[in-house]
Amino acid sequence: MRADGALIALDRLGRLLLPGVVLLFFVILTLAPLRLPYLSDILPLLPVLAVFQFSLATPERLPGPFLLAMGVLLDLLLGGPGAPVGVSALGFVLVRAAVVGSRRHLVGVPFLFQWVGFCILSWAFVALVWAFTSLWTWTVIDPVPAMMQYAVMIVAYPLLAPLLARVRARDPLNVPELSRGTARPGETTT
Amino acid sequence: MAIRDDFEIAALQVRTVLQRFALVVLVLAAFGAMLIGKADTVLVENARVLAMDLASPALEAIARPVAIANRTIADLKEFASLREENARLREENSRLLAWQTAARRLENENDRLRELAQFKDGPEASFITARVVGDSLSAYVRGALLDVGRAAGVTPGQAVVTGEGLAGRIAEVGQNSARVLFVTDVSSHLPVMVERTREKAILAGDNSGQMRLMLVQGVQGVQRGDRIITSGNGGSFPVGIPVGEVVQGGKEGSVRVRPFTDFSRLEFVRVVDYGVTGLVNVGPPSNSSSGTAPPAQRGH
Repeated sequence: MRADGALIALDRLGRLLLPGVVLLFFVILTLAPLRLPYLSDILPLLPVLAVFQFSLATPERLPGPFLLAMGVLLDLLLGGPGAPVGVSALGFVLVRAAVVGSRRHLVGVPFLFQWVGFCILSWAFVALVWAFTSLWTWTVIDPVPAMMQYAVMIVAYPLLAPLLARVRARDPLNVPELSRGTARPGETTT
Repeated sequence: MAIRDDFEIAALQVRTVLQRFALVVLVLAAFGAMLIGKADTVLVENARVLAMDLASPALEAIARPVAIANRTIADLKEFASLREENARLREENSRLLAWQTAARRLENENDRLRELAQFKDGPEASFITARVVGDSLSAYVRGALLDVGRAAGVTPGQAVVTGEGLAGRIAEVGQNSARVLFVTDVSSHLPVMVERTREKAILAGDNSGQMRLMLVQGVQGVQRGDRIITSGNGGSFPVGIPVGEVVQGGKEGSVRVRPFTDFSRLEFVRVVDYGVTGLVNVGPPSNSSSGTAPPAQRGH
C-alpha cells in the first residue's frame, strides 16, 4: 500500500458516510429556530430532499434500516402528542424504493425530469404524512400549511438539488451495473 | 460458461426477491412503530424525551448564531425607523404613565378590599427563564424546545409565558430540555375567559396563526378587540395571563382570537411555576429566578 493509501481509504469512508451524515444533519435542522420566511417552511421537507437526491446516485449509502431510524427520529423530534411515530420512516423507505425502482426515468435524464419526479414523490410523502397524522389524531388537519411547505420546497428544489449533487460522491452513470439498485457494497460478489 | 451465466441470473433473481422482501419488512417495521406508538404512549413519550435530550445540545449550538444573526437583521431594520420609533415610544410612555397611576390606585384599593373581605390569595407564582433552542413548527405541530428541564424544576403542564402573554404549556420534560406546545397547536384546549364580560370559554388551537374561541354560554357580547385571559380553571395556570384578542366575532364557533405572543420571534420565555400543577406533585421550586411577578401574573 502506498503512502496515499490511507488517504484514499479515508476519502472512501467519507463518501460512504456522507449521505447518512447529511440526512442526520437535516433531520436535526428541522428543529432549528431559523425564523426566516420561506426558509423555515422548507426545513421539514429537507430530509425528503436528501433521501430523494442521494437515492438517485448512491442508494446503497442510505440503507433501509438507517432510513427507518432517521424517520423515527424525525417523528420523535417533530411530533406533537398523538402524532404517529414512524410515518416519516415509512415515507423515506417508500421514496427510496420509488426512486430505485424508476431509476431509468430519473437518472441520466434532463434536470426537468428529476424535478417532476421530485414533485410527484414529495407530494406523495406530504400526502402520506398528512393522511396518517389526521388518522392517528382523528381530526381533519388543515392541509393548507403542509401544501404551503410543499409548494415552497418544489420551488426551492432547483436551487438545492445542485448543491446536494455536488456533495454527491460520484456520477450516477459510472455506477457499475451490478451495484445499481439497492445492492450494498460487498453484496456484489462478482 | 453457460453454467456461470445461469448462476448469475439466478443470483440476480434471488437478489431482486430479497430486495422486495427487504422493502416489505421495512414497511412493516414502519407500521409496527406507528402501532406501538399508538398502543404504548408512555414508551413513545420516553423515546421523545430521550431524542430531545440528545438533540438539544446540537440545537443549542445552531440556535445561538442563528439568534445573533436574526437579532442583527432586526436591529438593522429598526435602525431605519429609529426616529419614528422614538416618537411613538415617547407617546406610548406618557400614555402608560397615566395607566400606571391608575394601576397603583387600583392595586391599593384592591388590597384594601381584599383585606376587608379576608380574601385568600392563590399560590405565588415563580419563574424559570428558558432559552428557545428549537422550533417544532411543522405543518402538524406548533411548539418549541427549551433548554431547561427537570433539573431546573420544570414539570409537564406548567404555563409558558412571554412578555406579551401566554405562549403555551409544557408538554414533555427531559433532564435538560422541555417541549412547549403553543396555544395555537391543534391539541391545545385552554380554559379562558373574556376579560370584559368574565364569560368562560375554551380556546382551541388549530395549527393556524389564530385560535378558535368556543364559548360555554353562547356568544352574545363578544366583540372584536376583547381581550382573552386564562381563567385558571383546572388549577394549573394562574388566573389572568393575557392570551390574545378577538379579531373576528360572529356566529357560534367562529370567534377567532389572535395570540399576543409573536411566535416567530420567540427567543426567551418564562416557565411559570405556580405550585399546583394539576395532579402532578411538584417538588420545592429550586432555582426559580425572580420573585417579582409583573401585574399580568397577579390575580384580580
